[in-house]
Amino acid sequence: MRQKRDFVRLAFAAVAMTALAACSRSDRGAVRDSAASTVAGTSIAAPHIGPPGEWRSPAGDYSSSRYSTLDQITAANAKNLHAAWTFSTGVLRGHEGQPLVVDNTMYLVTPYPNVSYALDLTREGQPLKWKVRPENSQVAVGIACCDVVNRGAAYDAGKIFYNLLDGHTVAVDVATGKLLWRTTMGDVTKGETMTMAPLVAHGKVIVGSSGGEMGVRGWIAALDEATGKEIWRAYNVGPDADIKVGRRFKPFYGASDTSKNQGATSWPSGTWMQGGATVWGWLSYDPTLNLVYHGTSNPGPWNGRQRPGDNKWSAAIIARDLDTGEMVWAFQPTPHDVWDYDAVNENILVDLPIAGRTRKALVHFDRNGFAYTMDRGTGEVILAKAYVPMNWSTGVDLKTGRPRIATGKATDQGTKVTNICPSLEGGKNQQPAAFSPLTGLFYVPTNNLCMDFEARDVSYVAGTPYIGGSAPEVAGPGGYRGEFMAWDATTGRKVWGIKEPYPVWGGALVTKGDVVFYGTLDGWFKAADARTGTVLWKFKVGSGVVGNPITYLGPDGKQYVAIYSGIGGDMGLLIAGDVAANLPYDVRERGSTLPDLARWTSWGGMLFVFGL
Amino acid sequence: MIRRTVVMGLALGAAAIAGALLDQGIARLSRAQEPSHQPVQAPAAAGSVQDLAARFVAHPEHLRPGLMALKGVVLRNPHEGDAGAIATGAKLFVAYNCADCHGADGSGAMGPSLADGRWHFGGEPGEVFESIYQGRPEGMPAWGSLISPDQIWLLVSYVRSLEKNKNPTTENFTGLTVERTGH
Repeated sequence: MRQKRDFVRLAFAAVAMTALAACSRSDRGAVRDSAASTVAGTSIAAPHIGPPGEWRSPAGDYSSSRYSTLDQITAANAKNLHAAWTFSTGVLRGHEGQPLVVDNTMYLVTPYPNVSYALDLTREGQPLKWKVRPENSQVAVGIACCDVVNRGAAYDAGKIFYNLLDGHTVAVDVATGKLLWRTTMGDVTKGETMTMAPLVAHGKVIVGSSGGEMGVRGWIAALDEATGKEIWRAYNVGPDADIKVGRRFKPFYGASDTSKNQGATSWPSGTWMQGGATVWGWLSYDPTLNLVYHGTSNPGPWNGRQRPGDNKWSAAIIARDLDTGEMVWAFQPTPHDVWDYDAVNENILVDLPIAGRTRKALVHFDRNGFAYTMDRGTGEVILAKAYVPMNWSTGVDLKTGRPRIATGKATDQGTKVTNICPSLEGGKNQQPAAFSPLTGLFYVPTNNLCMDFEARDVSYVAGTPYIGGSAPEVAGPGGYRGEFMAWDATTGRKVWGIKEPYPVWGGALVTKGDVVFYGTLDGWFKAADARTGTVLWKFKVGSGVVGNPITYLGPDGKQYVAIYSGIGGDMGLLIAGDVAANLPYDVRERGSTLPDLARWTSWGGMLFVFGL
Repeated sequence: MIRRTVVMGLALGAAAIAGALLDQGIARLSRAQEPSHQPVQAPAAAGSVQDLAARFVAHPEHLRPGLMALKGVVLRNPHEGDAGAIATGAKLFVAYNCADCHGADGSGAMGPSLADGRWHFGGEPGEVFESIYQGRPEGMPAWGSLISPDQIWLLVSYVRSLEKNKNPTTENFTGLTVERTGH
């Protein structure tokens, strides 16, 4: 039925796009703003960084919207998309993240060994301007929990900034490729790696650590973009001074508890020192409030018996002052997490019309399966609804912000708790969602997996995993393993969904042309109608997609869409099993969760660029 | 210290190709020794580059990652053939967090599979012992400072027990099931 409707739409599209778009809008009951084409009361908190035809930061803007105002590619003409050019990164393994485009140059960062390339878009064949191969300890390869991924660079003031797997942050001069500075941020021999993409604002490069499965103590830090010198560093667990809790700290929930050092006292003696709470996901920034938003990872170890208490501020969403790192508010979607439900997923900053007024919202699709629509100024949960099949909780108590845990679904040492949904991969993982002010909808790549979880006692040995549990996974209810969906965060309901055979581990991009783009683990790159979810076009890329699409204007003035292909990450390395074929001494069994994925894809590392 | 000796030796006029091999061999030796936190031993005849060259270049099979093979020395597992050792080793495999890197059944996770019958650094008992004791470059810790040699041998017993009949060469996807064949 959807197919047929699509066909009719395409036939009339050339003359009727605007009218049809208006119809779709009224279909979902939203009021159309006559001055702009956005849904009334809806806007992205901070504008696109740089010209609309460039892509200078991981999400295009500080709000993590992954929305572009480019509109040459539309729902009507997306069927004409074709591959324009490609580029091999020379590196296998998981190509999470996305390229940048600044001043007719494209910048790419590969998985370990974190080579960066500058491609000249003004010349035929996109020759390199430079490539940078920084020193990067190979020890990091075996220390990174979930493949040797890198989630990309950020651009500012003639430099790109990115992290090295072995715990360094680097700055590269885009004019020359010169490595301007290289700052040691973490100790890889203790399990600290770096995989996230920096955020740059007001001359500060904000970065955070990975290693939540290695018994590290997670942190976020600001570096001076000119010198690479550390300006501030805030841990997320431990005493108030370390986590930068002071007079400004005012959590929406539990504010009456003013006891000191909750980041330490909510743990058994000293266990916070191996408490995880790393910052390996995406960062957002509200320039008006001057707040940086980040999530924190699971507490260490997974076995909750070794750390009774709320384990603050692991599995949390945290707002910090950009200039000082001070914690302004914090909220734990999953206090005392015993399911590996990190809260590192992106926080999308948008103003939304809710219950008759415009709310300065933060929308977060948590690993725990709830989509939180929050007040980004205070940390209040406005609503929290399940966006994927879930059974571990019966809902979120809006008076306390805490989830009600379903009977028998809390994991415990010595017990095999079966059929917990979502699995530890979460309703969504690192794959970032997108938001369009034209539709007022969030476009969310999701997983549909469930798990059996068996926690066990574990000893801390520095530089080795500190996990204490195993959690085999199977497809969730319905048998499909992923779904790409449109979500209305003002009401907490799904508007449409495209079911996928595999978890949708790549991110989303949505454009003013009302087209939403995403890739799949089995190697399809797809364009769908942002209003209906009708798939308009698809192309089989070289390897499964775990990266995020971007769009830009080429020197020819035409709109292009770029995506990495290169399966890996948690899904490609740990879960899929045998999609690798590059190591004769590491030939794996097919994974039980995605037993047939190797039929559809193998490791690769390619950039694909599409145009009309 | 070793490296400095080599550079001096090269300055004395050793053949360039031999020097390159020598340098490579020693670089690998010293890197492999780093994680063990043991003092680097200077070769007995450190003053003579020819002696060094004989030691390294004449045995290209020794130019490999990790420890140099000790010529004429075969490390034997005192627990070889002991089923009880395999069972104890399986427990140690979990206790020392090996399972979290290499997979619960050794089939690969963060670290490579130990169950595929394929070995990066050799699958003989002594070679597996060396990998555990000395560590390997891409994140395998040097466990020699933490685990007793006897317990390492128990781990060797377990790890080597995983590879039986699990050497897949072909995967055929066209049938109803995914078929894997050995050799």
